[in-house]
Amino acid sequence: MSNNPETSLPQTGTGDGARAAPRPWWLGLCVIALGCVCLYGTSTLAQGARYAGIGPGLFVTIAGGGLVILGVMLLVQIARGEQFEAQDAEDATGDEKANPVALGTALVAVILPIFTMNPLGLPITAMLSFTLVARAFASRKPLLDLVYGAVLGSAAWFLFTRLGLQLGGFLPFAGF
Amino acid sequence: MQSFELLLQGFSVALQPTNLMWALLGSVLGTAIGVLPGIGPALTIALLLPVTISVAPTSAFIMFAGVLYGAMYGGSTTSILINTPGEAGSMMTALEGNKMARAGRGAAALATAAIGSFVAGTIATILLTFAAPFIAEIAFYFKPADYFALIILAFTSVAVVMGTSRVRGFIALFLGLGLGVVGIDKMTGAARLTFGVSGLFDGIHLTVVLVSLFAVGEILYVASRYRPGVGDVITLKGQAWMTKEDWKRSWKPWLRGTALGFPMGALPAGGSEIPTMLSYTLEKKLSKHSEQFGHGAIEGVAGPEAANNAAAAGMLVPLLTLGLPTSATAAVLLAAFQNYGLQPGPFLFTSNPELIWGLIASLYIGNVMLLVLNLPLVGIWVKLLLIPRPQLYAGILVFAMIGIWGLSGQVIDLIVMVTIGIVGYVMRVYDFPIAPVLIGLILGPMAEVQLRTALAAAQGNPLVLASTPLSAIMLTIAVLFLLVPFVLKRLKANA
Repeated sequence: MSNNPETSLPQTGTGDGARAAPRPWWLGLCVIALGCVCLYGTSTLAQGARYAGIGPGLFVTIAGGGLVILGVMLLVQIARGEQFEAQDAEDATGDEKANPVALGTALVAVILPIFTMNPLGLPITAMLSFTLVARAFASRKPLLDLVYGAVLGSAAWFLFTRLGLQLGGFLPFAGF
Repeated sequence: MQSFELLLQGFSVALQPTNLMWALLGSVLGTAIGVLPGIGPALTIALLLPVTISVAPTSAFIMFAGVLYGAMYGGSTTSILINTPGEAGSMMTALEGNKMARAGRGAAALATAAIGSFVAGTIATILLTFAAPFIAEIAFYFKPADYFALIILAFTSVAVVMGTSRVRGFIALFLGLGLGVVGIDKMTGAARLTFGVSGLFDGIHLTVVLVSLFAVGEILYVASRYRPGVGDVITLKGQAWMTKEDWKRSWKPWLRGTALGFPMGALPAGGSEIPTMLSYTLEKKLSKHSEQFGHGAIEGVAGPEAANNAAAAGMLVPLLTLGLPTSATAAVLLAAFQNYGLQPGPFLFTSNPELIWGLIASLYIGNVMLLVLNLPLVGIWVKLLLIPRPQLYAGILVFAMIGIWGLSGQVIDLIVMVTIGIVGYVMRVYDFPIAPVLIGLILGPMAEVQLRTALAAAQGNPLVLASTPLSAIMLTIAVLFLLVPFVLKRLKANA
């Protein structure tokens, strides 16, 4: 939801938005790398097939090849001085600089379920992630957030399990 | 007048007490998420997908339609009262609406937005009622080559129109295409891009991608740039609703906005951003009070809001008649159909008329409900804005987690959630459009099936892809979409 439709052309002028890194080469390289992963994945796939003319590998090749070409185009744009303005969102503007601590805390909240969902169950995972996200958004009441998270996680577990969702055990480490 | 009879049958379905309850639930939910930041209709429907699998499809789609329309109504409330457009289509409303509210005319702005939404929604639903069967009839004659060309047209237009840069639009699209091929190939049984991970054999579900991009990516992004207390809520106490003059200045913009929004919403990559912007520009040109634009002109709220709602109804035309989603919300609705083993398109009109017509009839009912829910009860919705942001975003993550974990209970889905969530964060920081990822993900496999079917029938001859007049025209338009901006740029540079 950017409100600057003019950035489609490489620009060198200054705008009012905070600029991301002036030359984010890594962005283009990441796109190329993703394309290469797709192309690598086609090595075992047939490109052609007897009836359809095309095999299971063709679309993967198109996706990978497309990403490699677009990554190169992005690098060319970056070399020419393409500007990237962070998008505006509700409660945040692209003008703000990123707060690494808040971002890191929110990231931990998102990564945490990978390790806790199976052993600790949904309610406890929800409680911990809830508290971490609230902390990332500058909440100063961690104990209260733990309670909110636990109540929300438990209520959601009971409700959605009754509605037929398979959410695992309530407290798997306790055996139920 | 067959449509009329079918519509009456649809009403008999939609007016059943249970379905009315689902419509009301959808409308309430839709308005709430329209008002709340960080959560939109596409994400809400995606989160509801696993829950509604035990609900009859007609009831579920009636609720989804309520969410879709409700979000359009709710979005205008935040645009006007706190100058933060909840949806892309409410951006223009915020321009004039918030100025009106600051000048003590917030109630009038809310009223013209809600009544305009109602008028546009109702007219657009009437157009949908009569256009959809007609287009579905034509779609019966579509061959695989036509479908393939149509999808290619949708790809190019989505990537070119959405966002600020064509290259970034196409990168988003190709990311989606790449995600779409993950899993077992249905025609040959070959595992693609799974790299031996068994959890990926079934592919990456649209819900996982959508929730990760829209909820996780958004939470990471807003957390990193959070500004507490952005925008104060303007109170409406003692303000007058619309005056006679306001009505006079609003009704034409409502109709013009509808005329712009409906057809543009129905086009591939139509969305709601362009028609609302066009409506705003048009009203500014036509208004006798153009000097008021930028300071709170009511036409600048009436037109874009009508265009926004009409575009939402327009979006349903290609989805229901051709099975072609043109926005993120339409993509997730298509996924909902597929969850029920249904494929929207011409055959759905004959095989499942009670679903299609019940859904269309519910749009009329939903519009009335939303007008009642939004105008007199606006004070209640505004209270939602008082939910503290830390707990609100934390709650959104919990629901996102449940939505993903509830799909299959596999840790791999949570790993994909983190990975794609980080991609969503980077896309926001570097201004990549997000909808093309979803369009690529859901339409990529469809394009592949149509391409293979077309080529198989022609023994591999690629010329079959442009062998029908329709496919040739659509492929030409797709190429023009790509080339015209370059040509215009050259011409401008030479001028």
